[in-house]
Amino acid sequence: MEKVIVAMQDPDMGMKMRNQRLLITVIPHAMTGHDIITWLIQKYSICEEEALHLGGMLVKYGYIYPLKEPRSIVLHPDETPYRFQTPYFWTSTRWPASELDYAIYLAKKNIRKQGELMEYEKERYSVLHKRINHTWDFVVMQAREQLRASKQRRKADRIVLECQEQAYWLINRPPVCSILLPLSVYTCVALCLCLQIETCRRALGRNRVKSSICLEGFVKYSEQYQNHDPIMQGCLPSNPWISDDTAHWTMNAEVVPTPTRLRVECWSFSFMELLKDVMGRKEFMTYLEKEFSGENLCFWQACEDIRHGESSKIAEKVEEVYKNFLAPGAARWVNIDSKTMDKTLEGIKRPHRFVMDDAQMHIYFLMKKDSYPRYLKSDLYKNMLAKAIVPQETKKSVFPFMRRQRHSSPSPAQAAAQATEGDGRGKGAGPAGTNSDV
Amino acid sequence: MPLVNNKVGDNSTVGKDKALADGEALVDSLIKVVACYRHLASCVGSCTDSLQLRDELRQTREKAQKLSVAICHHLTSHLRNKSLPEEQRKEMELLWVAFSSSLELLHVDMCKVFKMGDVFSLADTGTLVQTGLQGGGSEVAARALSIPDLNQAQPPALPAGLESQEQSTLEQEISQIDHMIDDMEMKVNVLRWMVEPHGPQYADPLSSTDSASLALLSVDEERPGHQPLCQRSHIFVLLLLFAVVFVAATLSVCIFLFS
Repeated sequence: MEKVIVAMQDPDMGMKMRNQRLLITVIPHAMTGHDIITWLIQKYSICEEEALHLGGMLVKYGYIYPLKEPRSIVLHPDETPYRFQTPYFWTSTRWPASELDYAIYLAKKNIRKQGELMEYEKERYSVLHKRINHTWDFVVMQAREQLRASKQRRKADRIVLECQEQAYWLINRPPVCSILLPLSVYTCVALCLCLQIETCRRALGRNRVKSSICLEGFVKYSEQYQNHDPIMQGCLPSNPWISDDTAHWTMNAEVVPTPTRLRVECWSFSFMELLKDVMGRKEFMTYLEKEFSGENLCFWQACEDIRHGESSKIAEKVEEVYKNFLAPGAARWVNIDSKTMDKTLEGIKRPHRFVMDDAQMHIYFLMKKDSYPRYLKSDLYKNMLAKAIVPQETKKSVFPFMRRQRHSSPSPAQAAAQATEGDGRGKGAGPAGTNSDV
Repeated sequence: MPLVNNKVGDNSTVGKDKALADGEALVDSLIKVVACYRHLASCVGSCTDSLQLRDELRQTREKAQKLSVAICHHLTSHLRNKSLPEEQRKEMELLWVAFSSSLELLHVDMCKVFKMGDVFSLADTGTLVQTGLQGGGSEVAARALSIPDLNQAQPPALPAGLESQEQSTLEQEISQIDHMIDDMEMKVNVLRWMVEPHGPQYADPLSSTDSASLALLSVDEERPGHQPLCQRSHIFVLLLLFAVVFVAATLSVCIFLFS
């Protein structure tokens, strides 16, 4: 914007200047809003709207100030007079308008007008008086000296200097409209505060656990699962990503005649682990059927199906579940408490994905508290555990840097993997080894 | 006037009062010079900018710097003197605060003049901003330097080539003031919140002749009396509206009852 202002000063191509007449004095270097816009349009070949916007910016940031109505900081495209602001008062972030300066200005104005300041100016004056009270004597003295210095100049110059300073402060400390502003500001502020209160209330209502307790739980979890972690313990017989031997995957497939020992041990960690594993679920089903409570697991499975299945089939699935498990006198009636039953029956009238959630949760906890511990103590599980195989680790070959490679892929990462394999199983080299697979 | 008392009077307190008075005089003149410097600085880059103005700025700045160095030494030595009585110390601290504020203003003004001097070179007068000022600031500079009239016959000591030299000198002086401010803060610990000013919140207006001439100047400003008047008229209109609504309501109720 400063370049635009400087361009306007050009004696040949710059702005056309007029004179401002005030009572008896004549002050040069005034221009009308219309002049400004015409010049902008001509110089930069822009349309009128853009020139109006650009000119408005020049006024808004204080490079040009209006002469007739100083408080109206807009560009009127008519005969309203404007004048350039002196470079000393240009907007600058390096030397922002300081409180001391503002205090001096207000003190000067107060002296000049013998106490007749605007309301907002009076308020700010008292606030500043409190805030920089220690230097107030200086403020008053400096204000007096500045007034005395300006008296040395001729009258027209004094008017210009006053207008300049006033314009500067109108921009840097804009007046507050005391009537309308409180209403809109208060409603906005009230809204923001209400939202914040709501958020805080919700945050208070959330479940919280002490970090000492949840860290303990985390440590226990890590200890429990450490043996099962392929990176920490390595996987038997060998890491397929390194040795290209897929035995590990075939042994741990979904359905195998004999599962690995680690897998079976995992079932005893939590009920969810048991249910997640397909074989585990089958074994559990066998056990429940022996106990004549197989319908629980079937119900749970059907509910899972509804939850994760296709949207279009939800209605008919819910119907079936109702028919098979919930209707009085159903073939495989599940034992749910009356409150949950009522709620579910209500919800079935308008079936959606999560309509069976409460009932499913009830049955899940029933199984977990009741059947699951008994299963872990049962013979079925113990036999399974005994039968489970522990695969042998692939024999290391004679050459220390070579493993039994079925397919060797010429990738640079493999060289790194081979170098580190010398320490044993794929502990740290697992990630590096992944690059070697084609 | 009893002569005896003067001779018996304590020399040290007289000496300290003198120091205080000296300090006050120095600070007062610094404030005056800083005000004049600011006044001249606001003309830099405008159409009245000229070699003469820059020269006046330089002279004013030199005077301000001389004064500030003197005050710095004076106040530092007295404030570091642990045997200073309490009221004297308070007065000194007031002077100190005024001095540091003046230095702040001077520093900002010098930086602005330096930057503007860079942007608006006097070689190209076509770029100077036409701000409506017509006269020069010689009288202001004369006031700053406390001489009755700047000798107009003296040619401005800055041919165009030395403009850059002045700029670099200015840069050096700015950093010197910076150092002075830092030094001050290091050497003397003045707790600003403990300092209490003497004067009233609202300064007394200047003498009547001054204010009369100054009042003529404010042609373009709104009268502040407007504002309370507007507020009162707003309330009046609202009351009137309520009254009208109330009358209309009672009338309609009456009509309803009697029909």
